[in-house]
Amino acid sequence: MSEPLDIVILGGGTAGWMAAAALVSLIPRTSCRVRLIESEEIGIVGVGEATFPEIRNFNDAIGIDEAEMMRATNAAFKLGIQFVDWGFKGSRYMHPFGVHGPVGMDHIFHHRWLRARRLGLKGDIQDYSFAAQAARDCRFELPETRSTQLDSAYTYAYHFDAGLYAVYLRGLAERRGVVRTEGKVKDVIQDPETGDIRSLLLESGEVISGDLFIDCSGFRSLLLGKTLGVGWEDWSKWLPCDRAFAVPSERDELSPYTRSTAMEAGWRWRIPLQHRTGNGYVFSTSFIDEDEAAASLMRSLETKALAEPRMLKFQAGRRVVNWANNCVAIGLAGGFLEPLESTSIYLIQVAIMHLVPLLPGRRVDPRLRDEFNRLIDLQYERIRDFLILHYKLNSREDAEIWRYCAAMDVPESLTRKIELFRHSAIIERYRDGLFPPTSWLSVFIGQGLIPEGYSPLADTMPGEALVTHMDAFRADILDRVEEMRRHERFIDLYCGAEPAVAPMGAEVRL
Amino acid sequence: MTRRIEQVVIVGADAPAWMAAAAFQRSVSNAGIRVRVIELPTLLQPADAYSALPELAGFHRRVGLEERLLFSLCKAVPIAGQRFSNWSGAAPPFIHGYDRSPPPAAGLGFTQLWTKGRQKGLRTEFENFSLGAMAAKAGRVPATEPGAELHATFGYNLDARAYSALLKHFSTSGGVESKAATIGDVEIEGDRITAIILGDGERVEADLFVDASGPQAVLIGRMAGAEFESWREWLPCDRMLAVSAKALKPLPAFSQISAFRQGWIGLYPLQDRTAVVAAYDSRQISDENMLTDLPALANLPIGGEAIVSGLAQGIRRQTWVGNCVAVGESAFTLEPLDAVQLHIAHYCISQLMTLFPVEAGSFPEAELYDRIIRRAAINLRDFQFAHYKLNRRFDMPLWDGCRDAAPPETLQRKLDVFAARGRIPLYDDETFQEQGWESLFIGHGFMPQSYDPRVDAVPEQEHIALIQARLNDIVGLVEAMPPVDNFIAEADPYRQVETTAPRVGVN
Repeated sequence: MSEPLDIVILGGGTAGWMAAAALVSLIPRTSCRVRLIESEEIGIVGVGEATFPEIRNFNDAIGIDEAEMMRATNAAFKLGIQFVDWGFKGSRYMHPFGVHGPVGMDHIFHHRWLRARRLGLKGDIQDYSFAAQAARDCRFELPETRSTQLDSAYTYAYHFDAGLYAVYLRGLAERRGVVRTEGKVKDVIQDPETGDIRSLLLESGEVISGDLFIDCSGFRSLLLGKTLGVGWEDWSKWLPCDRAFAVPSERDELSPYTRSTAMEAGWRWRIPLQHRTGNGYVFSTSFIDEDEAAASLMRSLETKALAEPRMLKFQAGRRVVNWANNCVAIGLAGGFLEPLESTSIYLIQVAIMHLVPLLPGRRVDPRLRDEFNRLIDLQYERIRDFLILHYKLNSREDAEIWRYCAAMDVPESLTRKIELFRHSAIIERYRDGLFPPTSWLSVFIGQGLIPEGYSPLADTMPGEALVTHMDAFRADILDRVEEMRRHERFIDLYCGAEPAVAPMGAEVRL
Repeated sequence: MTRRIEQVVIVGADAPAWMAAAAFQRSVSNAGIRVRVIELPTLLQPADAYSALPELAGFHRRVGLEERLLFSLCKAVPIAGQRFSNWSGAAPPFIHGYDRSPPPAAGLGFTQLWTKGRQKGLRTEFENFSLGAMAAKAGRVPATEPGAELHATFGYNLDARAYSALLKHFSTSGGVESKAATIGDVEIEGDRITAIILGDGERVEADLFVDASGPQAVLIGRMAGAEFESWREWLPCDRMLAVSAKALKPLPAFSQISAFRQGWIGLYPLQDRTAVVAAYDSRQISDENMLTDLPALANLPIGGEAIVSGLAQGIRRQTWVGNCVAVGESAFTLEPLDAVQLHIAHYCISQLMTLFPVEAGSFPEAELYDRIIRRAAINLRDFQFAHYKLNRRFDMPLWDGCRDAAPPETLQRKLDVFAARGRIPLYDDETFQEQGWESLFIGHGFMPQSYDPRVDAVPEQEHIALIQARLNDIVGLVEAMPPVDNFIAEADPYRQVETTAPRVGVN
């Protein structure tokens, strides 16, 4: 058997510990050894308190007990994201983690809904989404995976304390054999010919060598960006927000959804956890100054602040490639997209889960590297377009940022999508990438884009029968939602955290 | 909303035109849209057969066509896979079976386990782990349940004229109007067809014209922007020969595709005959010599007239222009390899149903249709070219040329990633999924050089047990499957029973 691959992870935030935990759990120690270097002096940008349902696949793959993890991270459940004032003032819609209409009918359901609307149907599209209705009513139960009934029409994610999630994963990773080194990198030693990274020289004088380096150093991108000089692709002309203030406040109603409220120069998040509520304001300094933004955030809090707001600077975009030489960037070192759709942890996860099966031997195989980069690019670009959609599709005249976004040029692929939906209510599907047609549908309709036409295939049922059918389905959903437990009650029974107060406000989280 | 589509005219012949008619009749005609077929003279000869992928069953279910009728009226034989021989030098023949479920293997792709096993000395051929391939080999029909851990399915070989006639009857009895005609002229204004003038002078107008006329592309071929792009640099065969041969007894559950010096020859079993198709390169062999060589290559008594036709693989630069949309081989053409011929029509028609235009005034659906069809076509072309690219027939100009030809970027990536790690990068709009590509690559002797590092986390005993269990499971499942003849007899209880006793033996 050949020597095991030495993997060195630089940085121990959410990205670093997720990578470490996954590698040590999925690959036997005879094949790879994992070291992680982090410094307690360097602050962590714990990304994402709000997650996407895919996180469950990650947790399952590495063998995490859900209830235990939720207790350890003060987690709550999440059935979707509520958008308020997006598109137009007074809008309020849910992007649910589940289909609209009955299971297996999502290709035709919204066409039928559009037709029924013309025939006098009153219901909003969200009224036909089980996840949206359960979320709005603050109910939660675990979905059935095997049925084709309403109980399987949704999935879920978590709100959790990302700092505690990293701590939880650290414990797991260290128990399973990851070696952690406390220290700061002083210098990076490269192969003079190939430029490959040979070792990291720490301030303590210790030299840590490796075959593969995973850069989880956050925005600094110490290895991929600084050492290897991989360039940055700037997407800020489409996603102009460049700052965020974050502040925890006292616990509020435990609603099983993230709320995003459009503001005068960006948007504000509200993430309810078991022990507190996470709040933040993502904004653009082109449209508001920092002090004003902080004041605006504090004014908008619904419960008492538990700390001073902390600020974070960023720019939307990604490294031209996420894997160069023998270095793979995961997390902020590779790119940044604002957490409007809770994708930060997803992007970490997807990088890890693409890296594991493509993990190179001691010499990097460019074929594996290129495939990794292709897959990551697809993920970034598809999320990017979906985020831009939220900004582009608005008719708000009340603030400069919204006028700018409504008028801006967007990627051609997105323009085509919007126009095709406007005309024909058609939504293109894709294989790789996060958002299924039902997600696009939520945003299109929620932000006020009602298509001009719908598929003639929706014309086959007699009109009266269609309306009756839609009403009955809606009533079914309401009945079933009423039978569900209250979310708070379900949490208490399933994964209630100890009342002891967890550390809070120590770091800025997105 | 401006005016809805009221009138659709399908122009074409044979199965593609009637598939479109059946699909429309079943859906949009209930929405008040009139569907009319202008039926051109058939392109089919008595020798012709359609070899169809399992996906065709889905089409039949959707339109409500009983499968039984295929067996009673279209001489259908259920086909569990395609068997390829003589493509790769001394390598044994292999079967591309129609497996459906991702094989359970400790949460990893089975190919990954097999690759490590092979490096450790496992000698069992890859196809032994394919339920479809093993059913095909045993002459049995995989009729396993979807959702089972191991699941395979089957396609059909069909008499082309009988199947077209069945679809025609099905559509017209369901209310589709039709008229047998030829095209005299096509009136085009800008990017719109305003009318087609039939041979008898009738002027036919419609909101949407569907070109299902096959490679002749009688409508789309006249539209600006729909010029034909050839793929001959990758697919060199430009001639095709079709003839009938004696029926095989007992009926095999696979079609047999053999490479020879100047092309390939396919034997497609039907209930009463074997359809024989040869595709070859006219630069390498003349039609006369091909006819002379045919009996020896087919190794079967040949009967009836042999028909030679041209073959031009490629795609229209645009497959939907204005109010004219191409479905089937008027959009893109490939070789009748891998049973894709009817699938092309089926795929285009399903996409057109999904993207059916909402109004008669403008067609923004066209751009997406075109993008999807082009991606699907490229994926299929790459699948076919991979057979040629991976050949190991040396010192023969056709085959040497194909081995040396640079693959399109899309295929190069699949080859690279598979060689490096045994994984298949799948794109949007793939017809064949991982298992199809894997069986193609490995069957032609193209092996992964390394495997997923997670495989090493599976203890050796468990690894061996997983491999062994899979072999055993497949053997057990195949034994319980009906032989082809029994399957046909059961599927069609009204079919005349032969005087001989039903065969139960497998070859």
